[in-house]
Amino acid sequence: MIVGSQKSIDEIWDMIKGFKKVLVFGCNTCVAICHAGGEKEAETIATLLRMRAAQEGKDIAVDFSSVMRHCEPEYFEPVMEDLKKYDLILSTACGVGVNFLSDRTGTIPVYPGVNTSFYGAVESPGNFVELCAGCGNCILHLTGGICPIARCSKTLMNGPCGGTNKGKCEISKDVDCAWYLIVERMKKLGTLEKLAEIQPARNWSTSRDGGPRRVSLEHIRAYEEKEAANTDSAGGKK
Amino acid sequence: MAAESAIKMKGTHLQRVAALKETRPYSPCRAACPVNTDVQAYVGLIAQGRYNEAFEVIRSVNPVASVCSLICHHPCERACRRCSIDEPLAVRPLKRFALEQASEYRRDRRALVEKTRDRSIGIIGSGPAGLTAANDLADLGYKVTVYDRHPALGGMLVSAIPAYRLPREALKEDIDDVIAKGVEVKTNCEIGRDISMKELSEKHDAILIAVGLSLSRSLNIPGVEGPGVMLAIPFLEDVAFDRKPDLGKKVLVIGGGNVAMDVARSARRLGVKNVEMVCLEGPDEMPAWKWEVEEATEEDIKIHHRWGPKSVVREGAKVKGLEVVKVLSVFDSERRFSPTFDQNQTTVIGADTIIITIGQMANVSFLKDTQVRIDDRGRVVWDPKTQMTGAKGVFVSGEVVTGPGAAIQAAASGHRSALAIHLYLQGESIEGKLPTYEKEKISDMPADVASKIGREPRMKLRHLPPKVRCESFVQFESGYDEKTALTEAGRCRGCGGGAVVDAKKCMACLTCQRVCPYGAPVVSAWSEIRPEFCQACGLCAPECPGQAISMVSYDVREIRDTMASIVGAVEPKRPDPVIVAFLCMRHMGTSGFSLPDNVRKVPVHCTSRIDIIDILKAFECGADGVAVVRCSTETCKYKGIEDRVSARVDRAKQLIGMLGMEAGRLEIMNSDSGAENPYSGVCAGFSGKIKQMGLRTNK
Repeated sequence: MIVGSQKSIDEIWDMIKGFKKVLVFGCNTCVAICHAGGEKEAETIATLLRMRAAQEGKDIAVDFSSVMRHCEPEYFEPVMEDLKKYDLILSTACGVGVNFLSDRTGTIPVYPGVNTSFYGAVESPGNFVELCAGCGNCILHLTGGICPIARCSKTLMNGPCGGTNKGKCEISKDVDCAWYLIVERMKKLGTLEKLAEIQPARNWSTSRDGGPRRVSLEHIRAYEEKEAANTDSAGGKK
Repeated sequence: MAAESAIKMKGTHLQRVAALKETRPYSPCRAACPVNTDVQAYVGLIAQGRYNEAFEVIRSVNPVASVCSLICHHPCERACRRCSIDEPLAVRPLKRFALEQASEYRRDRRALVEKTRDRSIGIIGSGPAGLTAANDLADLGYKVTVYDRHPALGGMLVSAIPAYRLPREALKEDIDDVIAKGVEVKTNCEIGRDISMKELSEKHDAILIAVGLSLSRSLNIPGVEGPGVMLAIPFLEDVAFDRKPDLGKKVLVIGGGNVAMDVARSARRLGVKNVEMVCLEGPDEMPAWKWEVEEATEEDIKIHHRWGPKSVVREGAKVKGLEVVKVLSVFDSERRFSPTFDQNQTTVIGADTIIITIGQMANVSFLKDTQVRIDDRGRVVWDPKTQMTGAKGVFVSGEVVTGPGAAIQAAASGHRSALAIHLYLQGESIEGKLPTYEKEKISDMPADVASKIGREPRMKLRHLPPKVRCESFVQFESGYDEKTALTEAGRCRGCGGGAVVDAKKCMACLTCQRVCPYGAPVVSAWSEIRPEFCQACGLCAPECPGQAISMVSYDVREIRDTMASIVGAVEPKRPDPVIVAFLCMRHMGTSGFSLPDNVRKVPVHCTSRIDIIDILKAFECGADGVAVVRCSTETCKYKGIEDRVSARVDRAKQLIGMLGMEAGRLEIMNSDSGAENPYSGVCAGFSGKIKQMGLRTNK
């Protein structure tokens, strides 16, 4: 899931204070699970912003609502008309949701209420950890299921650096050395010798280095495009 | 107590809850009630001091509510899931309490129902079945006339239930509710004597026979004819209408059922010191309720068990006693009633008067020469699927066809007949449309849940001492006072009132599963909260990040949505700080509400239901300080909630800190359960601290 954390009320206030009618718009999937931007947090932020507006003597109406996901257009459809009543939408979805929604709201700005952090897991309640960097070329089968790209501070591909120290990374004693973990895991799995195999140089074009990415499933697209071609602008079959 | 605002919610929250509950398994108490009274709902409302709403819940399904509050055999209590912890909830006494508290409201709400339908129904008999049907049909806008042969309405309730159990004033409340709707009443009017069935069918579009079982069965034994031998119903009628029967010095009651108990205990109250009973059954076989037997025993009524009547012994015309024969067994191997006797073992129990109380039957002589068919055993032939007799438009209800039962069972039958009549008059089919009152119910309390629930003794009812109560027909049971009632209501585990997940909002995040102390939620594609585990504490709802959890028994948004009116106007130059105090009602009793005006009270059944947003809302509405006052860990009705609530308060402190507010404006504290008012001290102390801190101001 995508992990995010709420922006401070001060930062949000600076974004919204010039507007009159603001909607704090929650997303009830990833950011809800990490207690950053689900409906509950959207209502909490809305309440705090109204209190702040009262403190500052500003006349700003702040409401809240939410949908299940901000990253698929169908979820917006039932609320699109409601969204148009506001002059600012503060989305508490991840950056994906903010982008995706702002493409659809015309002249109404969509601002972020959450800092999108990483792809992560719920290690324990309230504890979220980054485990994948979305590089587009997965090698976890070669590294004992531990990703050096996401979990090594330097994204090293060929073993630990000189900063490894009794299993910890030099940046902090609270951060594990990913390569230490990889070696220990592969010992346990009995696959340590795999590390000796020579790997070709990595192609980073599948990651951010290749520019904005898109996954297009031909088998689904072909059908959808055919349907679109057979449908007139009023939605009827041609 | 907030009653006015609470009643206003009638059209919204209570109805929403009722509709939601229909989609879910019933609490066992509700499923056990012959009219499915929502016990959990009204007990919950009592616990919140919302007595008028509790009355509404009760009265919505039970037109003989006052009667049931005093004499119901309360199957709800036997079904109570608290039985697997300690003792069942005292449901009947709580019902009595609610009705007593709401008596003024009840009288005020009585109103004529407009007659919107030009059809008329004649109801013969005004017992619980007839009254219930009259109530329902009047509500539907029909013209209803009730006929009763007695000078007063109520059927057996007035003529055969002694006033020490059912004071006439209580019965009158139920009757007045029905009459007020515009039901016409013809008392002292016996069908077949004062008016014929034919005349009745000409006058009305439908007729309901609800005459109950008004004839006592007698015994076919030597000596039974003649003075000194009475039948139960005529005797009880004499008692009811103050025609004092001459009983002599010693009364012997034949029978071991509840009517026999009424007879024997009435005889004691007529001044007979020596009252004995004789029955076929042993102590554990008697059909009378156990408590009736215990109370009769307290009143010095001796019971001769396992003797069967053989002959009435007379000296001349005067009764001297009853010859009885030893019973060998009462039931056969298949538990069918089939007594066997040892004819060699007999004795005589002396008595001046013998009262036979061995069962009743219906008096249906007025149906002779009508199209209503009577079978060879003297019973009305009817179709239980339509409540109709063989005669078109003539319906039947209550004990006359169901056989002996409780008032609330007759009321259920009355509901069915009323609907049947309505459908019939609308020209619609009836079959399959009448309520069966058989609903899926929540299963037993899982053992690991029961083990997490503290034992709390059931609140006892006070009875007049046996010596005093035998001196008159004064009601011998005292109802609960408010403190006792609120304590007892707090024992309810809220079965069926717990958490419900809106699958459209749930993202299966596992939060509820992690926080629930009872293991109720199971999360797969979405969370399902198992009602047999849920204790309705409300801990999960405020934690749900998708706000997908609601509580059946209360509105999770109620506090924040009504906070502005709770806080009210906040004057800029207020002498004292405005404090919003969330108060655990656990020890609130009646005094908890008496706090200074600057403390705005938000009673909650447990602090576990308080949401961070509720707290913020209090500040938003202008509170200078917010106190969360809980009971102690030892007394908390729920387990394992304290740290979660504290964590919530800490988070709320952080959030107000982001707005530059002092964390000290919010505090969680324990109530002083030892003090007479468990809240006044802690609230005063907190109020003082906030006063020192200063009032909040906005630009």
